[in-house]
Amino acid sequence: MTTKKAAARAVELTKIYGEGDARVAALDCVDVQFYQGELTAIMGPSGSGKSTLMHCVAGLDKATAGRTWIGDTELTKLGDDALTALRRDRVGFVFQAFNLLPTLTAWENIVLPLDLAGKRVDRAFADTIVNAVGLGDRLKHRPSQLSGGQQQRVACARALITRPDVIFADEPTGALDSQSSKELLDFLRRSVDELGQTVVMVTHDPTAASYADRIIKLADGRVL
Amino acid sequence: MLRAVLRDLRAHPGRVSMTLVAIVLGVGFVVATWVVSDSAAATIVSGQTRADFAVIVRTKDPAPLASIARAEGVVFGHSAVVKSDGKLGTGYFPEMAGTDWDASDRFHLIGGRGPEKAGEVALEERTAKDAGHGVGSSVRLLRQDGTSETVTVVGIYTYRTAAADEPMPVVAYDEATALRLAGGSFAWVELFGADPDAIAAQAKAKGFEDVKTRQQIADERAKEASQEAQIARNFLLVFAGVALMVGMFVIANTFTMLVAQRTRYFALLRAVGAKRRQVRRAILAEAAVIGLIGATVGAALGVGLGWVAMTLLRSTGETVIFAVSPLAILVGYLVGLVVTVVAAYGSARRGAAVPPVAALGTDYALPRRSLVIRTVLGFLALGGGTTMVLLTSHTDLSDWQRVVGMAGALLGCVGLLLLAPLLASAVLIPLSRVVSQRGSVVARVAVRNSIRDPRRTAATASALMIGLALVTAFATVGESLSDTFSRVVKADIRAETLVVRGVNGPTQDDIVPKVPGDATAVYHGWGEVDGRDRSITVVRGNGKGLARELPRGGALVREQFGKKVGDTVTVMGKTLRINGVYVDESFLYNGVVVDDPALLGEHSYLDGVYVADADRRALDAAFAERPDIIVMDREQLIMEFIGPLQLALGIVYALLGAAVLIAVFGVVNTLALSVLERTREIGVFRAVGASRGLVRRAIRRESVVIATYGGLLGVGIGVLLGGVMQHVILSQPIFSMAVPLPVVAGALGGMVVVGVLAALWPARRAARTDVLAAIATT
Ligand SMILES: Nc1ncnc2c1ncn2[C@@H]1O[C@H](COP(=O)(O)OP(=O)(O)O)[C@@H](O)[C@H]1O
Ligand SMILES: [Mg+2]
Repeated sequence: MTTKKAAARAVELTKIYGEGDARVAALDCVDVQFYQGELTAIMGPSGSGKSTLMHCVAGLDKATAGRTWIGDTELTKLGDDALTALRRDRVGFVFQAFNLLPTLTAWENIVLPLDLAGKRVDRAFADTIVNAVGLGDRLKHRPSQLSGGQQQRVACARALITRPDVIFADEPTGALDSQSSKELLDFLRRSVDELGQTVVMVTHDPTAASYADRIIKLADGRVL
Repeated sequence: MLRAVLRDLRAHPGRVSMTLVAIVLGVGFVVATWVVSDSAAATIVSGQTRADFAVIVRTKDPAPLASIARAEGVVFGHSAVVKSDGKLGTGYFPEMAGTDWDASDRFHLIGGRGPEKAGEVALEERTAKDAGHGVGSSVRLLRQDGTSETVTVVGIYTYRTAAADEPMPVVAYDEATALRLAGGSFAWVELFGADPDAIAAQAKAKGFEDVKTRQQIADERAKEASQEAQIARNFLLVFAGVALMVGMFVIANTFTMLVAQRTRYFALLRAVGAKRRQVRRAILAEAAVIGLIGATVGAALGVGLGWVAMTLLRSTGETVIFAVSPLAILVGYLVGLVVTVVAAYGSARRGAAVPPVAALGTDYALPRRSLVIRTVLGFLALGGGTTMVLLTSHTDLSDWQRVVGMAGALLGCVGLLLLAPLLASAVLIPLSRVVSQRGSVVARVAVRNSIRDPRRTAATASALMIGLALVTAFATVGESLSDTFSRVVKADIRAETLVVRGVNGPTQDDIVPKVPGDATAVYHGWGEVDGRDRSITVVRGNGKGLARELPRGGALVREQFGKKVGDTVTVMGKTLRINGVYVDESFLYNGVVVDDPALLGEHSYLDGVYVADADRRALDAAFAERPDIIVMDREQLIMEFIGPLQLALGIVYALLGAAVLIAVFGVVNTLALSVLERTREIGVFRAVGASRGLVRRAIRRESVVIATYGGLLGVGIGVLLGGVMQHVILSQPIFSMAVPLPVVAGALGGMVVVGVLAALWPARRAARTDVLAAIATT
């Protein structure tokens, strides 16, 4: 058996909100690994800590205790600027909605992380992605001129453009109809199969989870 | 209902803070204006009027009045304090500067005693301070005949005037000396006694005509003072009005944004049963509350500012009366309330028009108001204004044509204000294209954000524009005046020529023989020219220092005089051949120019002596003993006239500063509210890898774009407006205006700084956006 390499992992991750009576342990000593080249789904009922887990592992939020890594980089040791650079260069995001900057065109949104890093766009690779998400003729449009499904696909393309170590998607189909959902999930699946991407997807939709290689179940801030 | 809206407002105090600042500054300016003019009037009227005399009679000799009551003659004569550089100070009138000391309430001793004999004087407090004199020091005084003497200061006084037109004497002599200096006559006679009316009647009975009782003088004085205060108040209120207008832009803009941000809240109110009218009233009531708060703070600020101004303006040792009339406060409240409610009215209507269904959707946006009406009105105003200016663009203007031209220019400015959103798109969209191709992400995001809502950007920039346009317009007029003046002087006088003049302008011609070298004296006066009273200029000397054509034994006339070379003109009974016709403006020449000293009219005076090939040191030495005469070169001569203009402009700039300041707060406000609106996208921006610094830079850039756009527009409009202003004032072609480069550069550079400063707080706020809160889906 080949040992799978972890693209991102967390050890004894704990996240506590509030104090006293209002104290909530959103994550309670969670150990978790997301393997390279896999699509991992995180499932669990609402409030079980899925988003919190994703935010902490992706470097969007600070954990109360425990350690997290992206590849070999330990996030818990990084300052804000280093975290920002890491998110920009090595992590991709797809949120449930409001993913795009309204003043930028679809194309500008897609290449935003490269622009922010001051890197050149690899045209061939960008074309591959744009073709894959099927947005060819919509690149000059503003987000307000795109449908919800198209907007989410632009967000996926943006997440892919830097060839990140891992893409985190928090209920990416949560606001989409079933047809758009299917298109988006197909696309995420293909990015794993054809481009070798690592994707971590939070969802409570079993259909979405069925696209995953592996499913991690959470309840009350613990991995089941 | 109202409570619901107000509570919502109170939950976000930061949102309205900048609006409050705008109201406070505007109201503060108005109230301060009122307080200063009231206080100035009160100070003149009540505080320092004398009550010791009964009647003042304008006559030269007290003796015939002595039988009626105690009569005291008052001397006013030529006298001046020589400063440490050996010359007189400019800006006051030596011919009214000396008086005789007496025991009346005219004088209030601050130190020492009154002068008792020749060789002793008392000095007015401010003059003494300026010249650095105190009791016991020796002071050099200039006499009427140009000689000077050194005397001892024995006292320092402050002076109280009785009549409104009474000058403020800076030196007091003992009576005998004063009378001798003034040639033996008194300026007026004061009568003392218990019954002014009876005394006045007796004086009139003796045949004296100019007789006034204390009460009459006090009344005249009060009237004069309140008229003066009214003029000063109107002048200041113009600037306060400009500040308020700018404030309206800021307030209106804020309310537009506040309503847009609370769309869902209003929709919810409507969904649970609030009528449109109720929502509208609630928003207006909210505006009224903000207006009231702003007016209260503003009134307090105004009273404080007024107090500071009065303290600074305190001209002499007099005690200043600080008058805060209820009217001043009332005006402040009225202005604050009306301005805020009027500015908020449009937003209130739009807020009330939010449909209840908007509460359900996540992203209901207020429908964009159509710009059609505004644009049409803007083009009409701009077109009408331009036509009015073009129709009056010729240079021989009658008074009403000047009014039409000026009104046209202002109408054009209003047109541009109306067209501002269109202009913003027209200027910023191409800029955004360029930036999209070339610029960094920061620049792209910043410029795109600045044109997201052209109306908002236009309103923010317009506020800046108004202040800057006025500053630039005045600067253009000032520069054009200075330019014209220096051009005229340069056309008259050669560069190397030195000028000998009186410190305060025209002087006696006894100095002419004392001027070494090739001296040409120029006199101005009036006399009979072809049977009518006209200006005559006499050029006496070889004219080598002048760059002008000379009369050469004949006469020169202005083109408007209607005669040509070879014709004759009769000046003071002597017939002269016209040897030249001069066309342009002249500093030296006025009316008919001749070189025969015999043609000096009765009231002619020496304007100056122009010396060619002069040795500056020899000239200075020749007039070392004449404090009333100064030697200057051509540049200094020009500065003598331009200096006061610069000072006046400086005051205007300072007064317009309030408007610019309010506009700057408007930029802060717009940015801060925009940042609030964009929390979510800033969060996404941060999540995908924009550092805090980058977010800050983007906001700062946006701010600089808005401020520079306002600056460019303001400066451009200002130069054009200034062009029309100098055209109607000077009758020069519109485009002959001189562009005040330092002011233009300062304004544009200043706007970049303003942009950076205005963004400080909003940018910090944006950079601190919590990524998680921003991207949370609920
Ligand atoms: N900012 C917060 N403050 C307080 N409690 C929070 C916050 N964010 C999340 N929680 C709590 O943490 C728990 C986990 O939340 P979350 O990770 O969002 O769950 P999920 O994404 O699985 O629905 C919930 O009980 C939630 O109420
Ligand atoms: Mg969640």
